[in-house]
Formats: sequence, structure tokens, C-alpha cells
Amino acid sequence: MLSTKERLNADVTVRTKALVGAKPILSKRRVDILLAIAVTAIIAVTALFLLFPVVVTVLMAFDARDYIGPFPPTELSTRWFGKLLEDAYIWAGFRTSLLLAIATTAAAAAMGALAALAISWMSPRWRDFVTTMFLSPLVLPGVIIGFGLLMFFAAFNQVPVFLKLFAGHLIITLPFTIRMTLVGLAGISQTLREAALSLGANERQVFFTVTLPLAKNGIAAGAIFAFAASMDDLTISLFMSDFQTYTLPLALTTLIKSSFDLTIAAAAVALMGLTIVLLIVLDSVLGLERAMGHGTNRIR
Amino acid sequence: MNVLELKDVTKKYGGFTAVENVSLELEPGKVLSLLGPSGCGKTTTLRIIAGFAAPDGGTVQIAGEDVGQLKPYERNVGLLFQDYALFPHMTVAQNVAYGMRYRGTPAAAIPSRVKQMLSLVQLAGMEARYPSQLSGGQQQRVALARALATDPKIVLLDEPLSALDAKLRLELRIELKEILRSVGATTIVVTHDQEEALSLGDEVVIMHAGKIVQRGAPTQIYQSPASKLVAEFVGRSNWFQATRGSSSIAGFTSYVTSDGVEIRAKSPPSDRDGRVNLCVRPEHIELMDSAVTEAPRDADHNSIAGVVLDVASLGPDVHVVVELPGKARFLAIRKNVRKIPGLAPGQCVRVLFSASDVLVF
Ligand SMILES: Nc1ncnc2c1ncn2[C@@H]1O[C@H](COP(=O)(O)OP(=O)(O)OP(=O)(O)O)[C@@H](O)[C@H]1O
Ligand SMILES: [Mg+2]
Repeated sequence: MLSTKERLNADVTVRTKALVGAKPILSKRRVDILLAIAVTAIIAVTALFLLFPVVVTVLMAFDARDYIGPFPPTELSTRWFGKLLEDAYIWAGFRTSLLLAIATTAAAAAMGALAALAISWMSPRWRDFVTTMFLSPLVLPGVIIGFGLLMFFAAFNQVPVFLKLFAGHLIITLPFTIRMTLVGLAGISQTLREAALSLGANERQVFFTVTLPLAKNGIAAGAIFAFAASMDDLTISLFMSDFQTYTLPLALTTLIKSSFDLTIAAAAVALMGLTIVLLIVLDSVLGLERAMGHGTNRIR
Repeated sequence: MNVLELKDVTKKYGGFTAVENVSLELEPGKVLSLLGPSGCGKTTTLRIIAGFAAPDGGTVQIAGEDVGQLKPYERNVGLLFQDYALFPHMTVAQNVAYGMRYRGTPAAAIPSRVKQMLSLVQLAGMEARYPSQLSGGQQQRVALARALATDPKIVLLDEPLSALDAKLRLELRIELKEILRSVGATTIVVTHDQEEALSLGDEVVIMHAGKIVQRGAPTQIYQSPASKLVAEFVGRSNWFQATRGSSSIAGFTSYVTSDGVEIRAKSPPSDRDGRVNLCVRPEHIELMDSAVTEAPRDADHNSIAGVVLDVASLGPDVHVVVELPGKARFLAIRKNVRKIPGLAPGQCVRVLFSASDVLVF
């Protein structure tokens, strides 16, 4: 009978022998480590790649030089931000974009939620078909949507530009709100509705006390995406705008084509700042992680 | 008057009949267990009573009123779902209060009623928690409190304990029974666990393939199952295919199994066709060392020689597998107590059981 220690020793010897005997070129553990290093490296490179333009933009926005010089800036100043504040052209674009994004988000959230609800009540066959229809703007090139809308509005005279922009943005943002609401609704189990019904609430009461509160996070997530998409859109705006009413991305694009200064970098940084503030506010109100995540309604 | 009356209720899904000609009636304050294998139509029956599924035939009456045209929220039926279906965005108190809002409890009376219900299910002080902050057993109790809070005419429990682990199941089963009795709720409990069905129900209904195959008191179901199907489903059993032998003495008939073993049973009331299935419950069997000399046998006794194949101690019970002549396996369950001497595989034993305990189908 061996003592525990002796047995352990014997065991180690046996295992070492086995390793030496087999002489693998790469042990399994080595392969694992190499793989982990490779994955980390890929993630790091991706992150750098994603962050690089942001870093460049932020630094260039503080460049003190008069012209767009080579990166990095030699001296720093806030002059471009001062210029940005005075730039009426950019401000007009920003005002239109913000109003447009707010109006679009509100409409897209409401319509998307209702559409998603209707879809969730359909029979499975119709559900797939209708969902695909509603989500098609996601895969359709913006140029086609923009051109189509342009032709459509040409049939009427004197449609206000803002209304045209609104219609275009509604088309491209609805897929986000519908999709996210559907995700939210999918997390609500049928038995919750039935439990509420069996407790005496009618269909309408069940909707307002159970379905809507539980789908709220999905709707909010959709609204966030819709807002971002509307603020970001260039293609549709290009077709719908005129020289008086134009969006911020359009203003910035025009600017970079016509003049060589860094106001545009300052504007980008300001927009970034605004987005971060927006996300922080949303996070504190809703919990962004919950708003974005799936299955927020599961008990466990 | 019956609180619930189902008459010839049938439900079809396409060409498939999920529930077929089910008739049930339930007296006030009684608990009925609905027991059957998976897919036999138990949940469907409950959904018909609750109003979530419309029957293709037959009528449903609650408290004497035909509810065929009533929506679920017009029926006042309390439901406990298998997954509890607690509203995740409401606190425990809000969950329990939910039904009262719509069933006409005066707003001022709701808080005290919530308190009363929560203390009934022993969750006093948990009012402000959310369902996600409760254990499975606690969630189950909240769901029960919510279902009972509106004082429903009938309470329907669909597999109320199946999501819990074995030990908790037993505890909650006893508690559930007490709670149901204390509020005097007229209840249908659906389960596919026979122990649960037999212990919770004043009466047990066995369903198979959409039909009711037997209805009776728990002891009756176990002791005199109406068919082979019920005997197979309730309790454990050893089965033998046999033909009637020649001898029959004093109300006992002897049968010969396909392996040539002779088994005596009480003579069936009517003379059936000679081929029968015999059922012997493992807990009705006594095992005796072959070396011990046999006591003289009366007509009510069966004694078969066998060899122990396997002995498994399961805590309170010991399961002994015995091989009978002709390689037939036979399960015997003995109490795990000191005064019964242990057995070992390979040992020769005599399998003893009373002829009146043999079921003939
Ligand atoms: N909506 C439906 N459409 C088609 N078939 C259904 C539907 N609901 C139930 N069934 C079928 O009806 C049969 C009975 O279902 P039911 O849910 O009543 O079974 P159950 O006895 O409750 O089973 P379990 O113990 O597994 O819950 C099953 O075969 C099921 O497949
Ligand atoms: Mg079921």
C-alpha cells in the first residue's frame, strides 16, 4: 500500500513519461495558448482600426494650424469650435437634423410598435412575409429609396422639404423599431397574457398593463437605433433636401467639398459628444444594456 | 349543485382529437386530480374550462351557467400555470393584487387582502420583491396567492409542482393541500405524477389519449384499477401473460403463465376468455430464504421459487429483482428495516404473495 504522497509521485512520473514518450510538436495546451494570443491580437487590431478615425478626428479638431496639415497636429487650440459656433450653415443643418430625428424617432417608434404588435398576432406564414416586407429598406440601397421617393413626390407640387425628409427617414428607420419591438414581444410568453386574462383583465387592459410595459425596452432600443440612423443618414437627405432645408450630414459633406478647414472635425467631435450624452441619459433612464439586450422579460 | 360540469366535451386539432367526450362534474370544495401520460389532453381540458380553447362539441357549465360564449376574463376561474406566469415587471404585491383590480374588489380592501393572501402562502414581508428575486418555490406560492386572491369559483392548477426539485415538491405538495382545504377552493389539479395525483385529490380521474378511462377515490384507483392501462399507469407492477389452468378452489382460479409458472388469483366475476394478463404489485410481495421451511399454504397463497438477481437500496425501500423460472424478471419492494434480513444476488428465495392481491385483466 502506497502513501498518498508516494502515489502522487508515481502518478507524476507516469504522466511525465507519457509526455516525453509521445513527443508532440505542439502540446494541446500550447495550441490553446497560441489561439488565445491570436484572438486577442485580432480583437486589438479591430479595436484600433475602429478607433483610429475617431482619434484622428478628435485630435485634428484641436489643431491650431490654419490649413489641414499632416497628422498629428503640431499645436492645439479650440479655434475650430469657435468657428463652428458661428457657422450659420452648419447650425441650420443641425437644427433640421435634430428636429427631423426627433419627429422621425417618435413616429417610427409608435408606428413600429403597432406594426410589430400586429405582426405578432398574425399566423406564422403571414408573419414572415410581412416582416420581410417591412424590413426590406434595410437591404435596399438608399439611392433606390431616395430616387423612388423623389419620383413619387414629383407627382405632387410644393411638398414641404421637411415633410419629404420626414417620409424618407421614416422608411429607413421603421425597420429598426419594428425589429426591436418584435424582439421585445418575443420575450413575452403567451402564458403571461393568459394569466392576465384569467385574472379578469380584458384584451385592452392586458395590452396596457402587461404587453406594453414588457415591450417597452424593445421599443426604446428601436428608438435609439432609429434616432441614430436618422441623424446619420446622407443618401435619402441628398435626394430630399434643397438649398434651404438640409440635414447636418449633408451640410458637412458640402463643407468638406467646398472649403479646406477643420470646422467639420469640430462638428464631428461635437456630434460625438452629443451622442455620448444621449446614451448616458438613456442608460440612466432605461438601462441601455437591458434596452439593447434580448429576453429582457424572462424571470430567470 | 355542481360547481363545474363538463358534458361530452370534445376538442380536435385538425384531424387529431385531443379531448374526446370528456364528462366531469365537480362538487363545491372538492379537489379533483387529473392524471395521465404526457399528451393525453389534460392541459387542453383545463384550457377549455378556462376559456382559452373552444370545444368542438359538448358543453361547459360553471355554477350552473353555460359558459360556452364567455371570454376567459368573464369566467372567474383561477389558473396556476406550470411556469407560474408571474408578471416580471410587477412586485409580489402587485402580482397578487392584479386580479382584484378587475374582479371588483374595492380599492381600499386590496392591500389588506394582499397581506392576507401572502401570509396564507407564508410569504409575508415579501411584498416589495420582484419575481426575479424569488426562489422557484416562492414564485410558485406567489402564483397560487394570485390565483386564489380573487376568490375564483374554480381553481385550475396545471402541473403546479413539476418545476420544483423533489424535496421541495413534497413540502409544497403538503402545503398546497392545506391551503386548498383552508380556503375551500374547488380545484382541478393536473399532473402526470401519480403520487401527486393520489395525495392531492379527493378523487382521481385518469385520462388516456383524450378520454377518461377511470374515475374514483385514490385508494380505489390503486387497489382496483378498471383496466390494464390504469394498472400500468398507477403504481408499479409485474406483468404475466397467462392462460387459465384446470384447478379452481373456493373462489380462486389458477393460471399458468407463458413460462409455466402457476399463479392463483381470485376468480373474476364473469368467466372471461382464457387468456389473461396478471398483475402483481411489487410492494405486495414477501421474499423468503428458500432454506427456511415453508409454512403450510392455504388457498389464498402463491409461492414461486426464484433467484435474486439484483438488490438496490433506495433509502426507505429496497428493490429486489428476482429471476423466476423461464427467465422472467420480477420486482419486489421491501421496507428497509433491520428486522428483515438482507438478501444477496445469487441467493435462492421464495416469492410469496396473496392470491387476492393479484389483479386479472
Ligand atoms: N394548439 C394545438 N394545436 C395542435 N395540437 C395541439 C395543440 N394543443 C395541444 N395539441 C395536442 O393535443 C394533445 C394534448 O395536449 P395537452 O397539452 O392537453 O397534453 P397534456 O395532457 O397536458 O400533456 P403534458 O402532460 O405533456 O402537458 C397533444 O398531443 C398535443 O400535441
Ligand atoms: Mg400539459
